[in-house]
Amino acid sequence: MTAAAINRLGLAVFALFTLAAPWLLPLVVDGFWVDIYSEMLIWSLLAASVNLLFGYVGLLSFGQALFFGMGMYGVAIGVAKLGLGFWPAFGLGVVLATAMAAVAGALAVRLTWHYFAIITVVFSLIFYFTALSWKPLTGGDDGLSFSMPPMLALGDDWELSLTDSTVQYYFIILVVGACYALMGVILKSPLGWAFRTVRENATRASLIGLNVYLIRLTAFIAAGFIAGVAGALFAFFGRYASASYMFYHVSGEAVVWAIIGGAGTLLGPVVGTSLLIVLREELSHAWEHYLILVGVIVILVVIFAPRGLGGVWHALVRRVARAADEDAGGGDGEGRS
Amino acid sequence: MTKDAKSKPAPAPRAGQTRRSFLQTALAGGAAATTAYLGITRDAFSKESGPIVIGHQCEVTGGFSSWGYWHDKCAKAAAKLINEGGGIAGRKVELATEDTESNPAAGARKLRSLIQRRKASFIVGSVHSGIMLASIPIATELKTPYFSAGEATEATGSKGSRYSFRTGTDTYALAAAGVPWAMENLGKNWTMIFPDYAWGHSHHQEHRKLIEAAGGKVNDPIAVPLGTKDLVPYLARIPGETEVLFSVFFGALSIAFYTQSKSMRLDEKMKMYSVSGTIEAIDPRDIDGATEGVYFLENFPRPLEFKNDDYHKKFIEMMGVDPVYAKEEGTGKVMAKSHAWQSYENLFVLKAAIEASGWQRPKDTPGVIEALEGLKMENSLAHPQGAKTLRAEDHSGMIDCYMSRVENSKFVLKKRIPREDLMAKLPPRYDFRTHKL
Repeated sequence: MTAAAINRLGLAVFALFTLAAPWLLPLVVDGFWVDIYSEMLIWSLLAASVNLLFGYVGLLSFGQALFFGMGMYGVAIGVAKLGLGFWPAFGLGVVLATAMAAVAGALAVRLTWHYFAIITVVFSLIFYFTALSWKPLTGGDDGLSFSMPPMLALGDDWELSLTDSTVQYYFIILVVGACYALMGVILKSPLGWAFRTVRENATRASLIGLNVYLIRLTAFIAAGFIAGVAGALFAFFGRYASASYMFYHVSGEAVVWAIIGGAGTLLGPVVGTSLLIVLREELSHAWEHYLILVGVIVILVVIFAPRGLGGVWHALVRRVARAADEDAGGGDGEGRS
Repeated sequence: MTKDAKSKPAPAPRAGQTRRSFLQTALAGGAAATTAYLGITRDAFSKESGPIVIGHQCEVTGGFSSWGYWHDKCAKAAAKLINEGGGIAGRKVELATEDTESNPAAGARKLRSLIQRRKASFIVGSVHSGIMLASIPIATELKTPYFSAGEATEATGSKGSRYSFRTGTDTYALAAAGVPWAMENLGKNWTMIFPDYAWGHSHHQEHRKLIEAAGGKVNDPIAVPLGTKDLVPYLARIPGETEVLFSVFFGALSIAFYTQSKSMRLDEKMKMYSVSGTIEAIDPRDIDGATEGVYFLENFPRPLEFKNDDYHKKFIEMMGVDPVYAKEEGTGKVMAKSHAWQSYENLFVLKAAIEASGWQRPKDTPGVIEALEGLKMENSLAHPQGAKTLRAEDHSGMIDCYMSRVENSKFVLKKRIPREDLMAKLPPRYDFRTHKL
């Protein structure tokens, strides 16, 4: 069996599990975990947006929470203040986040490394404090809650709404799945290879004719879009938007999730986010200082598995594939990923 | 405790009573009247025997932990007392506490955890306004009664629901309670200074309406950006003609405000007035007299002597605090008394409504909500803050408030504002009874 085949098998098992989770999870754990699983998938998108920038373009952003927050506020303001329906509010959230990413990115991607990280924090703080102060629009520190509008209504008697937990779950996995599929397509395209080239050596990339600024800006906007979708989904999930989600601590969490999961691997953020959210759920109600333990785990992973859990998975898959190859008398490492 | 019946003082404990009989008698002041009125006896509730899980969404860590410590202690004391008195309708109370980390994201998640994972049927909610407002839509959707303890008006206003209740005050009630007395006794020209975020703006808006309606003048507000350390540039903007300086700050900013305004001798030029949240969990002695002479509107007087009854005395004994400064023996923590009582009393409010409605399981929750709407509570060990009403229309607690002044680092009562006076200034702006259950 080749590494690619093992990866495909792993992906199929993961997809099947995700599709069947509303029935499977309650068989083994409390039904509450279906909601937590939805939450993991949403947050994994925020981590994926960090991963897209850091893992593939080499830009470490601590400002992704800004776009997440924009997505949230787009939905909440759309529903609570503008009286929009489900889909226009969802669209507003995503468009706001993407537009914000275009504006912030136009300035930020001129910088790299710590300067880039700092400017993303600054952007995040500016809009965090703006959201806190602009009470008539954002609800200030109280945030903005809203009642869920229907996704689809036929007459007075039938409507499809996220208030139905099954509808909510499948809507979330549909949108999250579409975002990962889109990222997969981008990363396999020439644009994706241009991202990696810029990550490896921006000077050489520019010498072979790549427009480094434009490539970084494209990645930044794409990451802002992904974070915005996550924020819009989370607003629907929580029926609420708050400036606290824009704070750079939230971006920091996403960075940790991406690094633990494995920066530079497509599904690493799902793994990292899931692991840390499970830990949080299990530890936080037993010990309020659970973050100390989470910190220790993060340090251990960074020291012993610097490519994250995604890296560990790929190393294992390669080893298994090589062993299978040798057993079959095969030759030269066919199927390395 | 009676619903739609006139309040009567609960009987005072007699000398020679045992602790248990005192508890039973005192708690009966909270619950038995209702059940007698409805002709319901405990036997009628014997179908379900498992514990009743009440969730507590509490700020154990984070920025509000100095308050959360007391909310946690209060809720635990109430659960213990209820269980010692036979539980609720003969069933043990199990208090499930989750830490919100003083953060709306974590708070909303913990609320789901309390309801869906730990099977809480009722929630004693957060004192953090952002968390409670994030929680109300979730609690409503999960059809679980939720008691807010914070002050954002929206919780029992524009963002309220049939499932959302609050036994304490909000910014609307605090303005209605304090402004008439302050206008009469402190002055008519007001300047308000507050942090540039929702809590401060909400106080400003509610106070301004009442001051202007009463013929007072409100100068331009001074909103201090968050994170400010030096308040002098903002204090320098206070107009000279100001008679009353109304301030709303929290934690470190609050201490900075009092110390810096004192050093500028503002207290000699104008009367300084604030709400209890500004001085909650802070001992005036610890800030070297910086709050000397400041007026505070409290929900529960800090010293025992200004609500001197056995229920209050017993309550502060349970909390392990001294009767003057409300400071905990051993730790030196100052009780967040004006807010934390809600986490204690709300358990007894639920006990009364559960027993009155005959609640057995979550499908019976509409009956509890109907019992809560208009519930009257008497001064008792179950309600040491005092007699109160949970107004039927907007699910808001109508309570006595206390105007106090710091004198020699001690809170000294100047005026008790009875809830009847408060209600006269506080018409309901919402009627949640029109919402479907």
